[in-house]
Amino acid sequence: MIMENVLHRPVRTVISILAVALEVGMVLLVVGMTHGLLNEAARRVEGVGADVMVQPPGSSFLLGLTSAPMTIKLGNLLSELPHVKVVTPVLLQFNTTGGLNLIYGIDMATFDQVSGGFVYHAGGPLKNPDDILVDDWYAKANHFTVGQTMNLKNHDFRVAGIVEHGKGARLFIPLQTAEEMTASHDQANIFFVKCTDPGYTDDVAAQVRSRLPNYQVLSIREYMSLMTSNNLPALNAFIAAMIAVAIAIGFLVIFLSMYTTITERTREIGILKSLGASKRFIISIILRETTLLTAIGILGGCVGAVVARKVILEAFPTLSIDLSDAGWWLRAAALALGGSLMGAFYPAMRAAQLDPVDALAYE
Amino acid sequence: MNNAPPVCEPLFLAEPADMPQGRDHGRPKHDELAMEPIIATEDLKKVYRLGKLEVFALRGVDLVVQPGEFLAVVGPSGCGKSTLLHILGGLTPPTGGKVFVDGNDFTTMDDADRTRFRRHKIGFVFQRFNLLPTLTARYNIDLAQHIQGDGFNPHRFDAVVDMLGLRDKLDRKPFALSGGEQQRVAIARAVICEPKILLADEPTGNLDTENSLLVLNMLRELNRAFRQTVLMITHNPEAADVADRTVRMRDGRVIQD
Repeated sequence: MIMENVLHRPVRTVISILAVALEVGMVLLVVGMTHGLLNEAARRVEGVGADVMVQPPGSSFLLGLTSAPMTIKLGNLLSELPHVKVVTPVLLQFNTTGGLNLIYGIDMATFDQVSGGFVYHAGGPLKNPDDILVDDWYAKANHFTVGQTMNLKNHDFRVAGIVEHGKGARLFIPLQTAEEMTASHDQANIFFVKCTDPGYTDDVAAQVRSRLPNYQVLSIREYMSLMTSNNLPALNAFIAAMIAVAIAIGFLVIFLSMYTTITERTREIGILKSLGASKRFIISIILRETTLLTAIGILGGCVGAVVARKVILEAFPTLSIDLSDAGWWLRAAALALGGSLMGAFYPAMRAAQLDPVDALAYE
Repeated sequence: MNNAPPVCEPLFLAEPADMPQGRDHGRPKHDELAMEPIIATEDLKKVYRLGKLEVFALRGVDLVVQPGEFLAVVGPSGCGKSTLLHILGGLTPPTGGKVFVDGNDFTTMDDADRTRFRRHKIGFVFQRFNLLPTLTARYNIDLAQHIQGDGFNPHRFDAVVDMLGLRDKLDRKPFALSGGEQQRVAIARAVICEPKILLADEPTGNLDTENSLLVLNMLRELNRAFRQTVLMITHNPEAADVADRTVRMRDGRVIQD
């Protein structure tokens, strides 16, 4: 009977399923995108290959949000600490061309020592002040090739090389050029510190903290643990708001759909009552029908999210959408089911309370 | 049509577990007393309130129906026939008086109790058939068993379907059936759970003469074969002639019994 009812009004059924699918897909994609971007940013910092990172006092662990730089001479101090193998300074800049990205101003020699060197897909290292390295994702998204000129912050750069993604930023320019562009001579935002052995990471971090008490000193392991949405209240609020919108869509569509159904089937409900159907029986029919629509919608939403991820990443290769968290799949399904059942409950109650004589006389 | 006597197993050897209990106010159940009326009303009244206006649908109906009786209720439109049927079927409560159905006093039963009673003891046949349009004839008939909760009884199903000549119509939806066929499906649905009382509201009202005769004969046959009490409302004097007894109503009262 449930299946027959669902099939009897195909347009209503399809709209209800689509609403739930949209709800589930939206939750999965919003969460996947925020988590994906955070994870990807964290992985890129990890990919630099350093063990400890040092930032100026009061810095955010979200790189680039603090403009106050440090003198580059601090690098010498850090280099002299026991168990420190190499220190590389980075001067960060925000780039808004072709998406929101960080530009790393790097000292090529020490950055290579810390990171183990770039893997070049094409071209070679930074040699001239106007050279720029772009990672493969950025190059693909913006159709850059080696030798091409790109303008960043009113400065023309020549693409010197296309490198494997995953080493801090997507764009790399010489440190001196970055200093000139920001008028920050002999300054850096971050020092990446590589230890002689990863086992000395905590020792080195402790030494840096004792020497530079107000500075932000994090081991990469600590940094990675901080890069979650739980440490970003605004991001959590954004996720919560988007989920609320998604649930509201599902709730309202199911509510309207079921409300219309009840009105349309008033006479049928009267027939069921004349056969002795209890209120619980009638409520259960409405809720089971809702559950069926929602289940199909959840499945559609999950498939839709996977397909949408593929399409989005094809169009925007620098984005990262992480759908690997099974917990969120379950949460999205539970939220959709809960929202739908809440939306169907009032119409179901209304149906159960219909007067059978009035319902049988309904035209 | 297969007119072979149906082989039916009574579904209610004992009272169903979810039947209302202790509501009979000391009246003996008809099983305990052979000729205890299965339906008895005393000064039965029903008043509908439309805003400040009171419409007296029943003004004191006294009626007694014996088990296994086929009773026709006739009268002009608006005389209260359908209201009487709805009260006897537990679809709506009376405003005053007493109504005992199979020993249960409906005036003291709430909606849930009346619904449970209806589920097990009463079958309805309506003028407009009232089949669920999304279901095939098979599932329309099976629905009553499903609602009753005792599960599908294939033996009973086959007996009823064969008796009503519906074997080759079972997989059709109502829109693909003639009026007579739809009414036969509705009758099958009404009797599939072997209710003690069959309430028929103008069962031939939407049928031509041939199908009317067919349906009336089936009701008569069900009454005889299953010993079901049948209370049929009709405008049609020829239809009323099929019944054992005819009651006439006018202005909310029984004027001739």
